[in-house]
Amino acid sequence: MNVLWHPALRADWLVLRRTGTVAFARIIGVPALLLACCAAIACGDFYGGYGWCLAAGALLALGGSHAIAHQRLLDVLERWRFGWCGALPVARGATACTLLLVTAVALMVSLAFGTVLLLGVSTMAPHRGDLPYALAGIDLALVAGTAVAAVRVFRRGAFAVHQEDGIRESLLALPWWNDPRLPHLLDWQRRTALVRWRRGGSFVMVGIVLGAVPMGAPMPAVAGLVLLVLSWSWLAVAMRASADASAAAVHLLGAVPLDARCVRAASFRYPIIAALCALVPVAVVAILGGRVAIVLGWVICACAVSIWPLVRILRITRNPELSA
Amino acid sequence: MTALLRATRLRVAYGDMRVLDDVDLEIARGEFVALIGPNGAGKTTLLHAIAGTVPPYGGTVSVAGHDLAKAPRDAKNVLGLAVEPSRLPALLTGRECLALFAGARGLPTIPPATLALGETLSLTSVLDRRIASYSLGMRQKLGIMLGLIGEPPLLLLDEPFNGLDPRSALAFKTHLVAMVARGDASVLLATHSLDIAERHATRVILLMDGRVRRSWNSAELAAMREQPERSLEMAMAEVCGA
Repeated sequence: MNVLWHPALRADWLVLRRTGTVAFARIIGVPALLLACCAAIACGDFYGGYGWCLAAGALLALGGSHAIAHQRLLDVLERWRFGWCGALPVARGATACTLLLVTAVALMVSLAFGTVLLLGVSTMAPHRGDLPYALAGIDLALVAGTAVAAVRVFRRGAFAVHQEDGIRESLLALPWWNDPRLPHLLDWQRRTALVRWRRGGSFVMVGIVLGAVPMGAPMPAVAGLVLLVLSWSWLAVAMRASADASAAAVHLLGAVPLDARCVRAASFRYPIIAALCALVPVAVVAILGGRVAIVLGWVICACAVSIWPLVRILRITRNPELSA
Repeated sequence: MTALLRATRLRVAYGDMRVLDDVDLEIARGEFVALIGPNGAGKTTLLHAIAGTVPPYGGTVSVAGHDLAKAPRDAKNVLGLAVEPSRLPALLTGRECLALFAGARGLPTIPPATLALGETLSLTSVLDRRIASYSLGMRQKLGIMLGLIGEPPLLLLDEPFNGLDPRSALAFKTHLVAMVARGDASVLLATHSLDIAERHATRVILLMDGRVRRSWNSAELAAMREQPERSLEMAMAEVCGA
């Protein structure tokens, strides 16, 4: 028994290597986008003065790194505790030690990538002389955000709480919500979405967009923008969760005679309801005088995050007998 | 007796590894067939190939005259496969999961017979709890109920007694034997419990290295039960060359 490292670390690494570049892209995509935004904001000239730009970039790095680290650490902890390796005799402290190592490595990579980005951006930035401040500000914010997330996750201890939260009934549980031909598939999709939403990783997008808001923007406009980004992020989570839950349901019902049309109708019910709910804030913003371009932009972004999950549902339900 | 299940030259492989190699199997109505064999013999894969959850690369499966490849819905209407405990959805309650399966089988509600089985297996009190909080035994019981929902004539059970307490195991054995005796169902049971196979099965099939190596009919099994010095365990050991 290795007293320092969790035995699942090697297995996870092998799985990641065999999954290929798509898995790597999914892991580094959002942090890379976050760092790019931080670097652009910290070196830009968007606000009233350089101090404000630096503060906005650092704030974004702080919130974003915290959200990403919190979500990913919870994911790994839950998998290690309740997954296939949950019953392995893991040495006391090995889980924490391994996670700290992984977090530290991820942080070092982020710091290196952030530094390279800042160096690159600063060559054409108006405040290239203040590069050390930008470097220090963003690096400190990344370290602080990740550290706070790690402390919060380790202090929680009971990771199963998210599963319990997911079981909560919706406020507006209407009897016709569930398709009688596949009852409770909608509940399964909704609870999966809820569990993922509560892990918090989606809030990075709010930070990224807020960071891009210029100084002096009117408060109602900022509030409207936050509303739009929140509804869009939630829609993205709901769509992905719906596709995953539908795939799991078809797999579970593999030996049961399924009618493709029924499965498709039941699988699309929650994504449609979720899309309609996500449209409510957009409608509110539009009614309150939001620009058509913003609403149109939201619709395009919503389509972009919805299309792949919807295609997945179509593929899964086209022939459930084969998907099983 | 007419054949309820007929598998002909069934072949299944995972990648390059052949798991089932030209397996022929026929089960008549009212038969209780036990499938035994060492680990990795292909018992679970055979059950899944018959249920249509693992695609074969050769051979045919016919259930009640319906070809599984050509008419999967008709074939699956006739069979029920107990769900593995690890595959149950943690975010649903037991009752919701039963309703999901009932709906998929075209039943308006959970059939009273399934709820009665839940009562027999002492699962009723936890049906409204989420599956994430179930013990292995509770999950096993729920998986069995899901397989038996709608009372399909052909039951496919993979180690259903794993994790069951003695009382529930006895209750389920009694339930199965009674169903077979009434002619309500035929059973194909994959098990390592030779005692159950010897006592309750009308036929036992030994699967080794993806092939049917030997089978014992009801007369041979009856002879084993009458002679204490003979047992299925010894007969199996002889075939395996131990």
